[in-house]
Amino acid sequence: MSVPLPIRTSGDASSSPPKSNGLPHLSPAPSISQKLSPRSSQTSARRSGDQHASLPKLKRRRCKSQYPRDSPERHVEFILVASFHIDRGPIMEHQYPGAISSDESMLAELMLPDQTHVRSQDWTMFFLHKDSGAEGEEEEQAGATKKKRKKRKDVSADATSDNGEGDDGLDDESEESTEGEQSSDEEDGGEGPPLMYVLNLVNTKQDNTVKRGAVVKAMAICTRHSFLHIYKPILLLALEDYFKSPYPETLENLYNAVNAMDLSLMPRLNLLERQILQASNSKDMFIEKFEQMIEQRRVEDDELTETDEDNPPSPKKHSSSLRYVLPRDTHEFESKIIYHDIPIPVKVPTVIWPEIVGDFSLVKLIQIFSAPHAAAPQPFPLHSHLTTSGAYTHPIIVLVNAMLTQKRVVFLGHNRPSGEVAEAVLAACALASGGILRGFTRHAFPYTDLTKIDDLLRVPGFIAGVTNPTFANHPEWWDVLCDLPTGRMKISNHIEPAPVTDGLLYFQQQSPVSVVSPNSDPTGDNLFMEDVLRSIANRYGENAIRAKWRAYITKFTRVAAAFEETVYGASNIYIIGPNEELTPESPSGLQSDPTDPTTLRGHGYVWPDEASKQRELMASVSRIEGWRTTRSYYSFIQDIAAMYFPARPILKPDLHHHHDRLRTLKLLPADAGAIYLSFSHAIKDDAGICQLLTVTPESQAGLFYLAMGLLHPNQTVREATADLLERIALHPAGRHFWTQLNRFAKTAYFRIKRERDARDAGSLKSASDSFGPPQSLMGVAMSGVQSHGS
Amino acid sequence: MGGSVSKIMGKIFGTKEMRILMLGLDAAGKTTILYKLKLTNQDVTTIPTVGFNVESVTYKNVKFNVWDVGGQDKIRPLWRHYYSGTQGLIFVVDSSDTARMEEARSELHKIINDREMKDALLLVFANKQDVPGHLSPDEVISALQLHKIKDKVWYVAPSVATEGTGIFEGLAWLSNNVKTSQSPPK
Repeated sequence: MSVPLPIRTSGDASSSPPKSNGLPHLSPAPSISQKLSPRSSQTSARRSGDQHASLPKLKRRRCKSQYPRDSPERHVEFILVASFHIDRGPIMEHQYPGAISSDESMLAELMLPDQTHVRSQDWTMFFLHKDSGAEGEEEEQAGATKKKRKKRKDVSADATSDNGEGDDGLDDESEESTEGEQSSDEEDGGEGPPLMYVLNLVNTKQDNTVKRGAVVKAMAICTRHSFLHIYKPILLLALEDYFKSPYPETLENLYNAVNAMDLSLMPRLNLLERQILQASNSKDMFIEKFEQMIEQRRVEDDELTETDEDNPPSPKKHSSSLRYVLPRDTHEFESKIIYHDIPIPVKVPTVIWPEIVGDFSLVKLIQIFSAPHAAAPQPFPLHSHLTTSGAYTHPIIVLVNAMLTQKRVVFLGHNRPSGEVAEAVLAACALASGGILRGFTRHAFPYTDLTKIDDLLRVPGFIAGVTNPTFANHPEWWDVLCDLPTGRMKISNHIEPAPVTDGLLYFQQQSPVSVVSPNSDPTGDNLFMEDVLRSIANRYGENAIRAKWRAYITKFTRVAAAFEETVYGASNIYIIGPNEELTPESPSGLQSDPTDPTTLRGHGYVWPDEASKQRELMASVSRIEGWRTTRSYYSFIQDIAAMYFPARPILKPDLHHHHDRLRTLKLLPADAGAIYLSFSHAIKDDAGICQLLTVTPESQAGLFYLAMGLLHPNQTVREATADLLERIALHPAGRHFWTQLNRFAKTAYFRIKRERDARDAGSLKSASDSFGPPQSLMGVAMSGVQSHGS
Repeated sequence: MGGSVSKIMGKIFGTKEMRILMLGLDAAGKTTILYKLKLTNQDVTTIPTVGFNVESVTYKNVKFNVWDVGGQDKIRPLWRHYYSGTQGLIFVVDSSDTARMEEARSELHKIINDREMKDALLLVFANKQDVPGHLSPDEVISALQLHKIKDKVWYVAPSVATEGTGIFEGLAWLSNNVKTSQSPPK
């Protein structure tokens, strides 16, 4: 049953819903064959040529662009204009370059939000599903995706056959895999074509010359980029222009301007690099990649000028070197859109996570619902999925629970601009996703109104933003209502009760008497919310709060995996590494192969003891079981399979698990030593270091716990740790972590280096010297250090 | 705290809340009536309602939560979402728009035949009595075929919304009739 395979297959038979089988589709075998295949020879030849010309340093890969210049994908695909006709209601006026959807009236209604007439300007956002053009037609979508994926798999299995030049996506992917462990397609894995995001601006202009005194017009930009907020300034200008000249040419100008935006110098980061950048506050993390992009571009430019023999090369060269500047903060890429000769600066995020759309603020969302709760808490009616800490569960936790267990959530902002409810919806999606789970934005309706109510109610577990207070009078439409003006949340009296599940019964049988006292916090959610609120009060900023939620969701998935292993004997959402066993009897930290230090047992989340594990699992039973039937759970199973290799270049040991042990447990020196040795043995290359850095974020003390290995009583461990830290310090991302390490640890590091150098030199010069063994000297030095430390 | 005090006062002096839904064809004057009620002595200029407006008006110890919903024919199917919990319907007709009186009649009967509206009082504002060529209240009654309505309390009030004429009389009728339909508080 519990076969220690790297890829779990046992769970597949039991869970039928749409997902690919357990096999990650970036398996190493095809990529090797593709490297040798004639098809890719052309690209590799070009690449190696560039490398010769530009990079004298060896083994430096060509850095790829996130948004290549020659990409057929456009930044913006459609521009729309709608207006409110005094006799006919909302109508579509123009669509450029073509009609996006046959259902014009639906689009026009979305573009003209309720109560537009009471404010002069309003922003909204909504999402369209590519094929249908209408929201809420999931079945069709899923079917189409499956076909597409299957086709792709067939094609890649048959890698040697010539596929022609048409299939850009595949070409791209194969090149990617030849380049190493780069992960390319976790974004589009599973859920169908990317959403079309629509940013919409509506203006109401009082005008006494027209019938009934006002003109209401809306202009929208449709893009597949989740950072659609960057288009706000240009949309303001363009809509103003449209009021003056209401012709398709105005749309065309805007379309051309936004699509001329150049993002080609933004490097592409792999999954681990993105995690590191996201978790880091260093403004120059991965600056090397940006430098390399510019270097590559200069070489390309030079080649161009060389072929242009008639032109004198010098002025162009000069200007080009001036034109490319490094970003001030590598988290963002600065570019500009030139509209009517006005350059409008834009900042595009370097790291794009699924489910993170637009420019919402988690801080704001949390504050809205925390303040009234802190001032005068109101009890919720109990629902085991939602009120996981009793009737006074923090509203934000109720919200996250509702999203995780796929409830219908409505954000209501009466008399608020529709942009505000849209922001709340997007923030809620980010909250529940953490950039890890998916399936929220795809069922989100950042702004909707009564006209779509029938479609909305067909979507299970939607997240919708509305401004019409009539929604509050229809508790049968929602499970949780979040009222933005008052900051209160309501659980509907129509909500479906949580079903009794296997897991629940299991825990009830296990410990029937454990009545949780109201003051205890078995889920840890109260502590977590206190920490978040304290961070907000101390102005930690949006990034820090997002990182905390990311950690919260990561923890949730790890606890859920432990839960599945406890209750069902195996987990769908954790792939155990080689040499690992699922049986709970095998203790964590045991070395299964005495000759190989990396075969360290243990995986998953770490609890200080069995009792606290049982307590936390028990407290989380309901929402985990509630989650286990949702879309986000099934997508997560897919993601786990797809990201197995990209996210885990080091299969054994489980770095996250063992680093957590260092962090949270009081280990015996021998146990800790085994971890340090194991890490030092396993983590050798760039990818491995990246993986390690993802489990040692700055917010969790960085390399501190690892550096404690420098003070280990055993010399071998100390030196192995020093070697590992040396590798990290030389790594482009690791050097930032090294810099942040405290002086105490660094001193220890240099002492170990010095002592070893001295010993090596000593043993070279006089191997037969009869001085005491170096080990005892080391012991003296170490005891000195330890007394300093304590 | 202030809210709870006024709630107690309301219990003592009999303040009640009444949910009112105001409907009618586009450009009948619904929004103007709403804001004349709300901002008694001010001039009101309105533009077409996109979606809805909602305001609370307290008059004669009754707090009216008045919903005013846009009237363009395409958005009329949305009216039904506002029905549940409505205690009074204000139907506004442009008395001078004789061409669309039949359309108004058909819409009105659709509303009041809805199950969720069966207990609601019906107040019709025969609006725009200042425009030449308007129908009188009696003519509006027959044009809307109000006599056909059984088991419903209804009343037609002539009004000139832009001047505020007649609208509070209509509201007074609503507040008087809602009093008789509910048990008076102690």
